[in-house]
Amino acid sequence: MTTTTTPDSTPNSAGDRSGTESVPAPEGSRHRYLGRSMKRVEDPRLLVGRGGYIADTKMAGLTHAAIYRSPVAHGRIVSIDATEALKIPGVIAVVTGEDCKAHMNPCMNFGPATIAQYPLAVDKVRYAGEAVAAVIAESRYIAEDGVDALVVEIEALPPLVDPFKALEDDAPILHEEHGTNLAYERTFVFGEVEDTFAGADLVIEDRLHWGRSAGMPLETTGAIARPGLNGVLEIHCNSMNFSYFVFLIATALKLPSNRVTMHPVPAGGSFGSKFTAHKVPTLAGFLALQVQRPVSYVEDRQDHLMNSDHHASDRYYDARLAVKGDGTLLGLDIDVVDDYGAFLQFGVGTHGNALSQGVGPYRMQNLRYHLRAVLTNKCQQGAYRGFGSEVQNWVLERLIDQAAARLGMAPEEIRRKNFIQKDQFPYKIPGGNLYDSGDYDAVLDKALGMVDLDHWRAEQKRLREEEDRYIGIGLVTTQERSVFSSTEFWYWFDEPAFPITSSPESATITIDPSGEFQVLLHSQAMWGNSPETVAAMVVAEEFGIDPAKVNIRYADSAHALPGTGPGGSRFTVMVTGAIRGASRKLHKKIIDIAAHTLEVPAEDMEITNGRVQVKGAPEVGQELAEVAATAYFFALNLPEGMTSGLEEQYTYDHPLTSLPSADRSDLGIFYPIMGHNCHIAVMEVDPDTGQVSFLDYAAVHDAGTIVNPITLGGHVTGGTAQGVGTALLEELAYDEAGQFKSATFLDYLIPTANEVPAMKMGHVETPSPFTEYGIKGGGEGGRMATPGVISAAIDDALREYGMQVRQLPIKPSDIVQTVLAAKAANGGAATT
Amino acid sequence: MTLQQTRDDSTTRRRISVTINGREAAGEVDTRLTLADWLRDELDLVSVHLGCEHGVCGCCTVLLNGQSVRACLLLAVQVDGQSVETVESLSSNPQELHPIQEAFHEEHGLQCGFCTPAMVLRTKEILEEKLDRTNEEVRHEISGILCRCTGYQNIVNSVQCAARKLRGDAPSQHGDGIAPAAEVGAFEGQGGEDPAPAPIGTGDDLTSHPRSENEEARA
Amino acid sequence: MKPPPFAYYDPTSVDEAVSLRAEHEFDSLILAGGQSLVPMLNIRLARPEVLIDINRIEDLQTVRVTDTHVEFGATVRQHHLEVDPVVREKLPLLPEMARYIGHVENRHRGTIGGSLAHADSAAELPTAAITMDAEMVIAGPNGVRVEAAQDFFAGWMSTTVDGDELLVAVRFPVPRAGTGYGFVEVARRDGDFALAAAAAQLTLDESGRIASAAIGVASITDRPVRAGAVERQLVGMLPTRASVREAAAAIVEEVTASDDMHATHAYRRHLAAVVTARAVTAAVARAS
Repeated sequence: MTTTTTPDSTPNSAGDRSGTESVPAPEGSRHRYLGRSMKRVEDPRLLVGRGGYIADTKMAGLTHAAIYRSPVAHGRIVSIDATEALKIPGVIAVVTGEDCKAHMNPCMNFGPATIAQYPLAVDKVRYAGEAVAAVIAESRYIAEDGVDALVVEIEALPPLVDPFKALEDDAPILHEEHGTNLAYERTFVFGEVEDTFAGADLVIEDRLHWGRSAGMPLETTGAIARPGLNGVLEIHCNSMNFSYFVFLIATALKLPSNRVTMHPVPAGGSFGSKFTAHKVPTLAGFLALQVQRPVSYVEDRQDHLMNSDHHASDRYYDARLAVKGDGTLLGLDIDVVDDYGAFLQFGVGTHGNALSQGVGPYRMQNLRYHLRAVLTNKCQQGAYRGFGSEVQNWVLERLIDQAAARLGMAPEEIRRKNFIQKDQFPYKIPGGNLYDSGDYDAVLDKALGMVDLDHWRAEQKRLREEEDRYIGIGLVTTQERSVFSSTEFWYWFDEPAFPITSSPESATITIDPSGEFQVLLHSQAMWGNSPETVAAMVVAEEFGIDPAKVNIRYADSAHALPGTGPGGSRFTVMVTGAIRGASRKLHKKIIDIAAHTLEVPAEDMEITNGRVQVKGAPEVGQELAEVAATAYFFALNLPEGMTSGLEEQYTYDHPLTSLPSADRSDLGIFYPIMGHNCHIAVMEVDPDTGQVSFLDYAAVHDAGTIVNPITLGGHVTGGTAQGVGTALLEELAYDEAGQFKSATFLDYLIPTANEVPAMKMGHVETPSPFTEYGIKGGGEGGRMATPGVISAAIDDALREYGMQVRQLPIKPSDIVQTVLAAKAANGGAATT
Repeated sequence: MTLQQTRDDSTTRRRISVTINGREAAGEVDTRLTLADWLRDELDLVSVHLGCEHGVCGCCTVLLNGQSVRACLLLAVQVDGQSVETVESLSSNPQELHPIQEAFHEEHGLQCGFCTPAMVLRTKEILEEKLDRTNEEVRHEISGILCRCTGYQNIVNSVQCAARKLRGDAPSQHGDGIAPAAEVGAFEGQGGEDPAPAPIGTGDDLTSHPRSENEEARA
Repeated sequence: MKPPPFAYYDPTSVDEAVSLRAEHEFDSLILAGGQSLVPMLNIRLARPEVLIDINRIEDLQTVRVTDTHVEFGATVRQHHLEVDPVVREKLPLLPEMARYIGHVENRHRGTIGGSLAHADSAAELPTAAITMDAEMVIAGPNGVRVEAAQDFFAGWMSTTVDGDELLVAVRFPVPRAGTGYGFVEVARRDGDFALAAAAAQLTLDESGRIASAAIGVASITDRPVRAGAVERQLVGMLPTRASVREAAAAIVEEVTASDDMHATHAYRRHLAAVVTARAVTAAVARAS
């Protein structure tokens, strides 16, 4: 099944940033467009600054909201005095949590009902920055003046910042109704964990902390809500996925679901941050209902940093790995405490992602997973590129590197020894998820062909000895699961409230009376990815037409067929399934019409090059425009029983999912479309300043059949840059009093072009046997691997000082203090 | 802004006249109104994106008297009598892109588009200073503008592609081996042997992308 | 994140600006390049009654060059330091340092006087000013006074400029020929505030020993400081890797900055010595 198709990198000299990253169409490809780098449909409007973002949207009579945010981490709201604010000319209204409590239901919530959240804090504030009141005014400037004029009294309560302290018996309780700060706890055991560890030659054990970061797109989340005709509340929003959950927003607003329509607005980046982002549209909707005018609430950067819908994983691990003396990996034992912040809005789905690829690409059948989800006075958690699976990748690779070091094995050697072999697929991992296909040796081989490890290992020795320079080499091989099934939302619970099994995507293809193509997508899918380009390419592939002739639109929620939207690297796979399904239906109608017109048997006809014709006799046929004219205007020429028009829709359900067992000894198949990658980094570390730099970087990914190589490459480079941020720079930090320390971009450090390596890139294509065309998701890109490979390279550079990355982000001070401590222990002199 | 806050004199409200993209624009503004908000809200130049409003992200970058500056850190009154350029000064027509915009399109130098107008303007500025730059220099020169999508590699490639276009280089080395041969060069090049790009919307906005090597490998 | 209401004045002369200052004193703030002040306005950390924009005062935009000094008007843009050949020739430490000030988009607008008056301990220009023995020219109701840079910085983001005064220029003495210079900064990312930075200017005698040394260090205490103890150890010394390192270690006593999210106190102590040693080493290499 495997084809390797990438031109490999040009070898590069030490320190020279170079790379190669493009992919040709597969040789002998059956596809006309798939697999070719195509310029994006989405780009021209973006290049002239007409992205159509939420903040660009203008509307008559539009008002603007600004938010008063809690100055303390934990407290009881005593009073909110809006007298002075309401005196300011242009201030229209002040809305508080009391109004929410009186007129709303709690926000949508996949966690316990006893941990309820409103878009404005009710009774208590539970983190610094939590929204307390909204001021609505004629402009954002005046709304902020109004916020300044509010007089809010909050009785401070003891803050809970450390999740372990939050678990102590005498800890203050965040949610009195819930009764404990332990939001969720469960242990899953798959295989023979106790015996495996008891019999292992080597057990690697470590404590690790993955620090809190977030998708942090350059555009924040925003919504404009307007009370419209017939009592319908219209909400324009850059949130993703709303066709999946608009009914839950309606429920929160106490409106029938047919009285809320959400309109898709392109997003300026998401990376998970706008995945199921619901509080902003819910709040805008509520405010509009309160003042009966259109209201815009667009987060500013501080709103977004402190109080976005979600920060991402913040996990503390006690992790163990059982290994045989020959390097065979035997079992993994994870004990994780996840600091979820003040609410549990999406349950513990980020750990479902971890379990979907819990043992990585390795043959290992024993896994224990003990999870405690803890509530603290911090912003709530949610999605960020990887959705928690990238954290598991980092932990597993950290442990394997330690095992390799202990056994004297090279990092590539121990990994290769344990790879699931390509003839073992589909492969069931402990826990029940299935890996559909893969060729991990091919990916590793390709990566090793791009970075000359022998050269770098020799350089490492030479530079250390001759120039007192420290370089290190990291290599990781990690999974990139794609196409989630909704069973992972609830299998955590023995008696789930809503054991949903659908996560579909839909498409409507219309050939208009002139023969031109319109495609309607049914979820808000544009966040910087390429949904329109993908759709156009697949339609072009199916009909043999020029992709530039396809026009793409998005449905609002009142017109939308079932859809889930982008997330978990699902969209390309799912929308392709939907378009292909609709295409098949349309093919049949076209052929039936043409066969009837030309009086030839339908089974003799085919569609090719935008034409329907007789197989083997292409001169006998019709252009699609002719068929379309018949379909729309000549009902009497249609076959018996056929109705007018040329439009078909298709809803594509998850291609491979199964229910968990009742006792949860098997979680079922929930994330089976399994991508893979290998990243190699060569880095230099300055032990005196803690600064790091890249000397070489290669990434090889396998995302199954490639749709558009250049955009897949963009996900790899973009995800890698975010991985650099997670590993080295980005931190959503709270101090001991629960004050938020990362409230500006001067403290939340997104990598610039200076910090991100020039990359070499390669691709391997192992098609999925379960998806249309064999496509796998690849949207989460480099972030699956980069934190691990950077950690490994830094450890390798400073191995003589016992460097062991245990916490992200890795700060210069961590590096320097490790070096100084090692030198002090050895009685060495301090260096400069 | 529609309402006035404290007093109604020249310290809180002013009439200003500014050359915007080569044309005079005049208006009355609150003195506290930022240049970015004036451009966006009053002049509908919504390409000036607000990513942080404290001068770090660079998405609101415009050229003031030819130099790149943060529009969120200027008051509109401060540019009275001066000249401001936004990305619309290159082209505001998606079907007739400027060569720098074309370069970003060809090299996939954008994903969500939020930093793109700033990156395009900055590219114009640095290429007007100097067309030949190493990738390392390009990275440094664009480092004042954050991009969260691309990882910068394809932006570097776009800048180099734009430099080639502005130098009038033949597009030769760019593209063998990916697209079917008949389509290679279908949109590439500025005159010379290769046909100029067809206007978008008449069949070219999804042309095959003939590239076989990474720009960064060539420098 | 929108600026609060204020009364805006844009005087065209220093006299006019000073009389506005005298009228409003500490209720007023001076708007120069705005690269630090406008973020503070947008975040509403600064809420002045009156904003005095000095960008229309042409006098403040001039550079005066003599044989012994270069005087920059307060609103000369920082970018000027990077590109001006006269600055490069006479004050080569300044272009070396200038590229570390934010990003070029900030330097196009940010001013020399603005950065000095803002007096951030982690900023580059104040550090250069104390290292180079610059003089601050301050206008007030009673005329102009001149103050040495080392006396000008009064503490955490504060200077000796009084409520009715205005910094109008900074005067840098031109170092004598053969002076070596170095500037070394460590930050989380290029363009960020320094975790620690050091500027050095020094001269060597005929035997290759250090004849004079001036070293300023940023971001280790509430204001940029001269590394007096290091300077004293260096003078008369034959600079070697080891001797410079040993002398530089004296800076750690000056480090008072406590832990923050970007650097610990212990790390800053170490780093201060590292950047000091490296700046001195660079300066020695350039001295003749």
